[in-house]
Amino acid sequence: MSYLEYSVKYTPTGLRKVLYLNWPLILLLIAVASIGFLMLYSVAGGSFSPWAEPQMKRFAMGLVLMLVVAMVPIWFWRNMAAVAYLGSIVLLLAVEFFGAVGMGAQRWIDLGFMRLQPSEVTKITMVMLLAAYYDWLPARNTSKPQWLLVPLLIVLLPTFLVLRQPDLGTAILLVAAGGGVIFLAGVHWAYFVTVITAGIGLLVAVFQSRGTAWQMLKDYQYRRIDTFLDPSTDPLGAGYHITQSKIALGSGGWTGRGFMQGTQSRLNFLPEKHTDFIFTTLAEEFGFIGAFSLLGLYALIIVFCVTTAMATRDRFSSLMTMGVAVTFFLFFAVNMSMVMGLAPVVGVPLPMVSYGGSAMLVLMIAFGLVQSAHIHRPR
Amino acid sequence: MIRTPLRPLARILPARARGENTDSIENENIRARHAEMQDRARQRAESRLLVMGVVFLCAYMTVGVRMGMLATSDASEPVASVGAATAIANQRADIVDRHGRILATNFETHSLYSNPQLLIDPERAAAELVAIFPDLDHEQLLRKFTGKLKFTWIKKKISPEQKQAVHDIGDPGLLFGPREMRLYPNGTLAAHILGGASFGKEDVDAAEVIGVAGVERQFDGYLRDPAHGNAPLTLSLDLTVQAAAERVLSGGMRIMNAKGAASILMDVYTGEILSAVSLPTFDPNNRPPAPKKNEEASESPLFNRTVLGVYELGSTFKIFTAAQAIDLGLVNAETIVDTSPPMRVGGRTIGEFRNKNYGKLSVSDLIVQSSNRGTGRLALQIGVQRHKAFLEALGMFDPTPFEVVEAQLGQPLYPKRWTDLSSVTISYGHGLSTTPMHLAAGYAAIANGGHYVSPTILKKDTPQLGPRVMSPGAAHAARRMLRAVVTSGTASMADVPGYAVGGKTGTADKPDKLRGGYYEDKVISTFAALFPAHDPRYVLIVTLDEPSENSGSQPRRTAGWTAAPIASEMIGRVAPLLGLRPSVEPARLPAITLTANN
Repeated sequence: MSYLEYSVKYTPTGLRKVLYLNWPLILLLIAVASIGFLMLYSVAGGSFSPWAEPQMKRFAMGLVLMLVVAMVPIWFWRNMAAVAYLGSIVLLLAVEFFGAVGMGAQRWIDLGFMRLQPSEVTKITMVMLLAAYYDWLPARNTSKPQWLLVPLLIVLLPTFLVLRQPDLGTAILLVAAGGGVIFLAGVHWAYFVTVITAGIGLLVAVFQSRGTAWQMLKDYQYRRIDTFLDPSTDPLGAGYHITQSKIALGSGGWTGRGFMQGTQSRLNFLPEKHTDFIFTTLAEEFGFIGAFSLLGLYALIIVFCVTTAMATRDRFSSLMTMGVAVTFFLFFAVNMSMVMGLAPVVGVPLPMVSYGGSAMLVLMIAFGLVQSAHIHRPR
Repeated sequence: MIRTPLRPLARILPARARGENTDSIENENIRARHAEMQDRARQRAESRLLVMGVVFLCAYMTVGVRMGMLATSDASEPVASVGAATAIANQRADIVDRHGRILATNFETHSLYSNPQLLIDPERAAAELVAIFPDLDHEQLLRKFTGKLKFTWIKKKISPEQKQAVHDIGDPGLLFGPREMRLYPNGTLAAHILGGASFGKEDVDAAEVIGVAGVERQFDGYLRDPAHGNAPLTLSLDLTVQAAAERVLSGGMRIMNAKGAASILMDVYTGEILSAVSLPTFDPNNRPPAPKKNEEASESPLFNRTVLGVYELGSTFKIFTAAQAIDLGLVNAETIVDTSPPMRVGGRTIGEFRNKNYGKLSVSDLIVQSSNRGTGRLALQIGVQRHKAFLEALGMFDPTPFEVVEAQLGQPLYPKRWTDLSSVTISYGHGLSTTPMHLAAGYAAIANGGHYVSPTILKKDTPQLGPRVMSPGAAHAARRMLRAVVTSGTASMADVPGYAVGGKTGTADKPDKLRGGYYEDKVISTFAALFPAHDPRYVLIVTLDEPSENSGSQPRRTAGWTAAPIASEMIGRVAPLLGLRPSVEPARLPAITLTANN
């Protein structure tokens, strides 16, 4: 049963919708993206090429896309959820067969003008479909086991495909975001306890399987976990990322070395300095204050999403908005933990800041959906 | 679950009785039920949201706290505990002077090698390498890079700047290995003492540093022994004194147009060598190649004249003859000796410098005037056996025990058959060739009151007096004669204001190796000094190879004109550095006059 059948009499129409956008959210997004431009400019040694300029173009494109998505009524997106999800699964399968191999993993489809990472698209379409499913499902059926099979399938199918690429980071993010939406939908907590217990059991099994014939992860994944647990064992090898970024954070101190003054990132000590590890540049050049400010901006974005979710009356809008918020949260929480040595290095970009096309466009579309829910909420 | 009916009869019936549309009641109830369900779902959703919020908050706090912890942490580079980089660090101990100043230390650098199979763009790599190292041959490099080799050296030692430049080429086939090299921060200073080091066994990760000459070679085992815990090797040299001595000697050598020079400053009680200079010199950081077979070794800058330069040191030896004669009680300083010609020994006529005739001279005066015949007659009185034994006790027949590896090769030349003639010529310093180091040890025995001391390059804290070779009285008499040489003899130019210097000049014709006999115009001129003369603490030897002082109408080559003024200049510079206080004669007070100030 859906609650979308409320009176649409009061929803704004036409260009008036622009007035009803969640403007603070847009300003926050621009602020975060600007920090990203600044950092990419700095990492390139004070140059707009090769990273800052394309990133700005993509952000502009993303802003337009967001506005277009926002203008379309939210119920249209709800009806499109299943199609979008199927589309992204098809793309994932296409990667399996036609994808380009980059950095030892098969993750991209070359569209000519940009390289599309279907796994990024899947993060949003999966959340949309889960939200649409729980919008459709009568509330009393939420916790019934037979009605849990469908959402599980929705989450696990793309996870499986992403793991085959292999991309452990995105797989973890997909499971966590899907679990978050299912949790918010109100599924009984006993399921989660069971799953988490089973997960820990699986983790133990994974470690037990190391070195045996049925080893579950690749060697490099084990090594990353090892060095996460103790980076000092191999500071010049596999622990290099973490050790160097810790040094960068430490050398930034409270106030940082100043814009364009970071040595750790500028002197090429850090690999992936413009993508996954861009946070270290920020922390080194602007110190704890700069890094914590970015964390604050992220928190505000989450808060605005939550208020939007609270203000909407229908399950699809609120679940979808919260799903976007959870995905966004997972992005930066995992990235920052990874950079600061709280989590293993799994390859998750810093949202809106790291250089990368797919992730940014997909996030902007997701915020477009949030805006759409905000505009078309009942009043 | 108890359900409230959507069409409760209790309301339907009265409404129907009133003729109202009962559907509105149903609609109203449906809406109420919806609202109720919505509220329940909402409540649950809100509680879930709360849980999620707590999770978010925890994550935020974790990240924030961690960020703060890292921000306050020290940014220290971890050092890899494995690998060769640390294994070869400080494999060789430092060498320091007597005050702990560094003479030789280690410097980390890199070697550059290549695995041509890993090269991405061999042509570009070769071109860029030649741009960085112009001495490399482009063709040869390209041939190596494009061949089937899996390993090839490119450079054994490169500087950090060069390493960065090569690193910036960015080719994974260009590889670096750690190298530790020996660094002599003072450049040419004390080059002959330190010698030098080079690489022994080499591989990619490390190279053995071995001493090739000088102290580095002599103490190679000690310097490499990790058991000493990298305690530095302390030499007796004084860096400041050495620097001053080198400066004075190289300036003097240029003025006197000499082709080589050497100086030794020795502590007469401990035997420590405070400075030893041999010119021309070289930079041990960049050791010149050893002289080839057909080249004269003594012409190479590597040649250490102080311990290898075996020369006839001329009249400087006369004092030994006089001292021994006094020691044996044959004469005293005032005994008159006839120095007039003719004097024939073993069929040879003994002459004087410029065929002078000094007539009858006291022993003291024959040293001051430097009479060959006078010392020759003393030698005949002493006799061959005693003369030989005395010189042997002064260490004149064996290489000096000086701890610089080359010193072992400084074998003095003396006649196999020692005749009366040998004794006579040797008494004035001809027929016996020794190194300046031998001479320094001999003069030290006179200076310290009659004990032999062996010269040493290691710092000693206590006197190292060896066996007595002459009585204190004889040594005292000899010192007074040496002082007189400076005040009223051939070495008047060696006088230093404020310091009483005693010494003896010596000028010996250089032997002509090609034609036999001696050159007319090539001399070794030597000045052996001790100071302060009344209680000597230091001996200074200055030797010039082929000097020629050209300020007069004809070139002057005698030591009094060449070596003595250099020694004077050197003592004037070095004595204050050694902590010797100049004894300034009090100026005579003017007679007091009781005139009014008008």
